[in-house]
Amino acid sequence: MSQINLTIDGKSVAVEPGATVLEAARRAGVAVPTICDHKDLSPYGACRMCIVEIEGVRGFPTSCTTPAAEGMQVRTASPELESLRKRTMELMLSGHPNSCLVCPHREACESMRPKATKAGRSTRCGFCSNKEECDIRTMALEAGSRDLNLPTLYAAHNLERGDPFMDRDYNLCILCARCWRICEKIHGKPAISIINRGKDARVGTAFHKSHVHSGCTFCGSCIDICPTGTLTDRFARWYGKPDAKTPSACLLCPEGCALIAQTHSGKLVAATMTAFQSEASLCALGRFGMAQIVNASTRLLRPAIRENDEAFTVDWDTALDSAANGLKQHAGRVGILISAATTREERHLYARLAAGLNGRFAVVPTLPVDPLPAGQGTPLPEWLADIQSGKITALILGGDFLERELARSLDFLLVIDGLPVRVQDQADVVLPAALLAESAGTLRTAAGQIRSLARISRAPGQAKSEWEILRDIGQKLDIAEMHFDTLQDVTAAITDDAPPASFPGRPRQDVFSLPATYRGHLLADIIPALSAFGLPTTYDPSQEVQPTEGFELLEIRELVPNMHLLRIHAPQVAAHAKPGQFVILMARETSERAPFTLADWDAATGSITLIIEEVGRSSRELISLSQGARLAHVSGPLGQAFPVERKGTVVLGGGCYGIGAILPLARALKEAGNRVISVIEGSSAYLLYWEDKIRAVSDELRIATKDGTRGTYGGVQEVFQEIREREEDQGAAINMIVAVGCTFMMRMVSELTKPWDVSTFVALNPIMVDGTGMCGACRVSIHDETKFACIDGPFFDAHGVDWDELACRRGAYAREEVEALPQTVDLNTLMFPETAKQGCGCGG
Amino acid sequence: MATTQRTKIAKLDMTEIFENHGRSRDNLIPLLQEIQEHLDYLPPEAISRVADHLGLSENDVYGVATFYAQFRFHPPGRHRIKVCQGTACHVRGGGMVLDAISRKIGIVPGETSPDGNFSLERVACFGSCALPPVVVVDDTVYGRMTARKTEKLIEGLE
Repeated sequence: MSQINLTIDGKSVAVEPGATVLEAARRAGVAVPTICDHKDLSPYGACRMCIVEIEGVRGFPTSCTTPAAEGMQVRTASPELESLRKRTMELMLSGHPNSCLVCPHREACESMRPKATKAGRSTRCGFCSNKEECDIRTMALEAGSRDLNLPTLYAAHNLERGDPFMDRDYNLCILCARCWRICEKIHGKPAISIINRGKDARVGTAFHKSHVHSGCTFCGSCIDICPTGTLTDRFARWYGKPDAKTPSACLLCPEGCALIAQTHSGKLVAATMTAFQSEASLCALGRFGMAQIVNASTRLLRPAIRENDEAFTVDWDTALDSAANGLKQHAGRVGILISAATTREERHLYARLAAGLNGRFAVVPTLPVDPLPAGQGTPLPEWLADIQSGKITALILGGDFLERELARSLDFLLVIDGLPVRVQDQADVVLPAALLAESAGTLRTAAGQIRSLARISRAPGQAKSEWEILRDIGQKLDIAEMHFDTLQDVTAAITDDAPPASFPGRPRQDVFSLPATYRGHLLADIIPALSAFGLPTTYDPSQEVQPTEGFELLEIRELVPNMHLLRIHAPQVAAHAKPGQFVILMARETSERAPFTLADWDAATGSITLIIEEVGRSSRELISLSQGARLAHVSGPLGQAFPVERKGTVVLGGGCYGIGAILPLARALKEAGNRVISVIEGSSAYLLYWEDKIRAVSDELRIATKDGTRGTYGGVQEVFQEIREREEDQGAAINMIVAVGCTFMMRMVSELTKPWDVSTFVALNPIMVDGTGMCGACRVSIHDETKFACIDGPFFDAHGVDWDELACRRGAYAREEVEALPQTVDLNTLMFPETAKQGCGCGG
Repeated sequence: MATTQRTKIAKLDMTEIFENHGRSRDNLIPLLQEIQEHLDYLPPEAISRVADHLGLSENDVYGVATFYAQFRFHPPGRHRIKVCQGTACHVRGGGMVLDAISRKIGIVPGETSPDGNFSLERVACFGSCALPPVVVVDDTVYGRMTARKTEKLIEGLE
């Protein structure tokens, strides 16, 4: 068929019939901005960024949906197009939190805080886990303008965190429909759709059903194609942009799907499809499960042996000697029971070991829940009965397949696994194995294909690749057939392995037929979210002890997005609290201790009020409590009270959670006879709160927003500057400045006021543990002198603070803070009642 | 849900409606309209059966249905309250009237009160633009309403 010739911005280009103008432009090397367009999706024309002018065509057609025609004269850039695109961008941003994009302090802030804050709601780029990969942000930054003429409309949709594996925040959605389109492309009947219309239009499900019941298979393609932070992988989201993507395959069932392993700092964080195609789709376990298995907190880390009923951790050589000696003594009476979720090389070496020891060998298949009749576990080989009759006296166990009762009949038990087994304490030797993406090898799919597994994730502790463990045991036992130098030699030695039986379920189409176990371990025990799909677990949420003693939560509500007010019954704290002091909270006995400034209190009713911003695990745990719940601990009041004296004119600045913190200071300073000017700062107008309360105890209230939607455009520092100029014009002076907010904000204030020679106080927020001066975690340097923020602070002379040291110490546990977030069972127990409540959504 | 509604759904044999329509996608809106004509609203079962009949995702069927103002997803209450949000009513405080009713009954537009007494709808214009703001209860038009007056009106209906 002949080609179509057209010109784009004066450049002649020839394309195949059926090609779009956008494709022709790309062929001609002309860049046209796009958002809803995606190479794996058919044209949609929603975002209207790709508009062009075509000679003889009225208006501004979208190039992505316009077929190229012979002789077309296309212009992709003109003043009209620029102006229209700018307006389109503004409209899109008015429905997408954008304060960081227009903030005058963006560069400074981001150089000091390169990692996004782990907030519940992403009310700005700095709170968004997709910051490094966001198409909207990239486009807005490339456009370079900080001039937005439309207001920000925060939709205030509920956060959707009740489904397994994915967090959804439709307040960030720009309705490009990529998620819906990819879902339809891969699954035919999409699990989501665009519902409602006009300004209420959004992505959702029929009757707001949970995704577990809307037909979703949790393949994650919507997450991977979303240009914004709306859809995120709950586990991977806060690690940041993956630093490597490696082709590999999935060992979790005989399907052996090909996938792309995403790693960050040498750790697997997710696995994605090799292409946005139906045939390439992954099941929930393949997409989300693998990373959670390898990162499980229960992983076996060190080799151990048991002597005289006592277990010791030992070095590898000692452990391997013990293993080999034990096996040697039982040669001819050894059984080997391993999982099908092993590589060909591992199975080959196990088979050779069995032959060398003249023992029995069986591979336990991976099965979904359904084919297993109630009460009957995984099908095990018949020869296991020989343990009782004494024909088998030693067992090599490569998974959680053995009952404790049967293990008692064994004389020697060697466990080779990466996760603890039920008979762990009965084992004579335990060898920690690398799992899944932690070791290389090959697998054969049920369809007969051979796929390679890449070793891309660092095994924890001293865990070693299983093939190396086996080879070393073989060497210790002098089995010549097990002498291999490299893994490739093992692979080459495999000549006749048959493909495994196909998996009796369709996990990629039906989320209720996922494999129930991995190496005999109940998957829902390792990944609690899987129990939402009916996978069995030994975990029983009803056994969770709900505290009946402790401090009652009298009130809890989200004041503004991501900022929560908690009023707690703590009469002793309320009776003794002074402005500037703080408390340490523990939601439950096992929680981390987390410090919060007292925003208000009432000695008469014995209640204290705190403003808590959701920025990590502890704050999330606290804000997830319901009214009437009891907090395990409230310690306080802690820290030094702010020195309230009559100074004259005092300027207070509060940003974000600090707005709440300046209320008691303003009240006390005003009562002491000061002229109090309070300045509150929010990223955007819709994030401001307590304006009336603070105005009532101040002589003047000023507002600053980072996007200029209210008050002064900028932060408290811009307002401080304005106030100083005004006071100087009137021959007056500022006698004291106090700032409470994020470290960046307080540092900016400190730098601003240093040359002014006005005493400036900031409330420092280092990592804190006990809050009573014992642990030293909250150490800060003030005028080169070490102070403890908990007992000497929290208020210090801003001009003496070593800010770099503070920032460094605050970031010390960045990775642990991320790891603490999604792996805990606590968060899943918070999640399940909600899922159960939603039911099928039919309202019946 | 009122008992009468439950009976109605149980009794309705949707088979006939489905038999009269082919399985191509262009039957979607006529099907939804006919079902609503019989049931007065579209319950989740209806959306799901329409999806099955046409081989579509029920999410997509729901997406289409929620696009059109004519479709309801809650059984109408014994009293149907419609509040005009057209231009004339808007400028004379129709929004405040709607909010007041919403607060009084405890439901948002599109919903029916749990006791089945009231359903609340927002309407673009009744053509009674000389009487803004306008509230229509069942088939009676009430003009020049205020929040207080509508509250009294609802109390009278209970």
